[in-house]
Amino acid sequence: MKPNLQSSRAGWLSPGNIARWVAIGFALLWSLAPIYWMLSTSFKTELEAARLDPTLWPEAPTIANYSGLMGTSLPFVSFFVNTVMSCLLTAIVCVVIATPAAYALSRARFRLAGTVGYAILSFRMLPMVVVLAPLYLLLLNAKLLDSGTGLVVGFTTFGLPFAVWMLKSFVDAVPIEVEEAARVDGYPRWQILLKVVVPLIMPGILTTGTFVFMEAWNNLIYPLTFITTIEKQTLPAALVLTFTGQFKTDWGGMMAAATITTLPLMIAFFAVQRSMVRGLTSGAVAGA
Amino acid sequence: MAAETTTTEVRVRSRARHEPWLDRMVLPTLVVMAVVVGYPIVYTIALSVQNYNLLDFRPAAYVGAANYTKLAGDPIFWGSLANTAIYTFGSVGVSALLGLALALLMENLGGARFRAIRALLLTPWAVPFVVVAFLFRYMYLQNGGVINAVLLSTGIIDAPVPWLNSSTLALPAVMVANVWAMAPFFFLLLSAALSAIPNEVIESARVDRAGTWGMIWHIKLPFLRNPLLISSLLMVISNFNDFAKIWAMTQGGPGYSTSTLVVYVYRLAFERFEFGYASAVGVIWLTMLMVLAWIYMRVLRMESR
Repeated sequence: MKPNLQSSRAGWLSPGNIARWVAIGFALLWSLAPIYWMLSTSFKTELEAARLDPTLWPEAPTIANYSGLMGTSLPFVSFFVNTVMSCLLTAIVCVVIATPAAYALSRARFRLAGTVGYAILSFRMLPMVVVLAPLYLLLLNAKLLDSGTGLVVGFTTFGLPFAVWMLKSFVDAVPIEVEEAARVDGYPRWQILLKVVVPLIMPGILTTGTFVFMEAWNNLIYPLTFITTIEKQTLPAALVLTFTGQFKTDWGGMMAAATITTLPLMIAFFAVQRSMVRGLTSGAVAGA
Repeated sequence: MAAETTTTEVRVRSRARHEPWLDRMVLPTLVVMAVVVGYPIVYTIALSVQNYNLLDFRPAAYVGAANYTKLAGDPIFWGSLANTAIYTFGSVGVSALLGLALALLMENLGGARFRAIRALLLTPWAVPFVVVAFLFRYMYLQNGGVINAVLLSTGIIDAPVPWLNSSTLALPAVMVANVWAMAPFFFLLLSAALSAIPNEVIESARVDRAGTWGMIWHIKLPFLRNPLLISSLLMVISNFNDFAKIWAMTQGGPGYSTSTLVVYVYRLAFERFEFGYASAVGVIWLTMLMVLAWIYMRVLRMESR
């Protein structure tokens, strides 16, 4: 920890410090007030949530909004399962395909590595919506439209290039000397990768997988486009689609559904928060 | 063994050439990318010169540059392009400033209590985009929305404001929600960059009696320049692609006042099924994004040098 005059005990109540605390207080209020509002509304009755003079705290707290999600005409449980499954599968597929590629791009120094690496990176920046129409036709012809598999294919378009670059930064951090012994003993590359490198970058693999999972979880446009049967829909798309129907005025129910949609992402986020900075900066930066 | 481990460029290069395994390891990625990204791009370009409409029973015909000339005179396209620029650069700029201010505020505050505050400040970023959209949509309600209620009771406004139903206020309102969700990203990255400034630099500046502002302006900001640039570019690219927030809040409306290029392409393709025309918009947009991506990579190369 760097020594800081401002945070020393003597200057605790200096004007500068008070201003600093007020600013931090405002920042906390700004960040948390909307989240509090979501939680608080999710425990309100439909009537209370629609009141013209909103109540800060639910007058008659109820869990009806949550239990309502279980037993309504809408299959919320299957929305949840669909989302978890498709995002998890995307994360696994991307990491499994990307790990060897990341390893090869990190270890090979031939000219092609740079070109291939940048080609993959530029795919990362591709606007999703540009490939939407052709991807739709591709899935249509492959009979994968309106299926979880089709969704995973869609999510892979942005998950895979991202995973390759992020994993490459983790492989880059593994000193080449670690592999030398195995190399001398004549082990082939894929065995070195599996037995030496993969165990070392396991935290990186988990972080990368979580990131891909989070990005897929956030994706709205692919499920909205590729899934046509409501039972097969993901949570984000289901929120959008049902809002025009069931939740049109039922903000309490809406916020309960929103809370359920947020929880898994929040858990994933805080699980990888520590390695996030490194993954994001080096994954994006330690390129050439 | 010394010769084996001292990896000069020449040695590695000649060794890599004899390692088919390294090539094969990249192959699955390349094949998948070729199918799910490469092929759709080529297909988009091909579609953009046809009058392909999914609802039309006649087979698509080659129409040359017709889609592109139509696009040049399409006011909704130009409006969406302007909205995309305002939405992206506006939100990213404000978020970067807020994140920077937060990072400076929270600098050097250690201990469990501050770790908790730090984590709380990061939470908006962990809220799914769709949820951000609906949450703000609820708070923005003209009647019964909490934002109007607070502003009315403090006397800042006299009558409820129709935030999302006004063609002038809707875009700024969506941007506020976007900034709320994005600022923590800058806070996180800039905090990391701040803590990476070598202690000696800070110390010698302190010996030179640099004030708080002088320290920020002359010492810290130069160190933050590249992280700020890279994270801004990353967010610019991701905001260009933002669909969830705008779609779930306004669907591009009222009228086309919050329509960005993503929303417009989506509407063209999946409400009017004009795949040909939608592809032409996509190709133009792709070209612009590739320019940005090129700038991004130039910055990366500068950074890694």
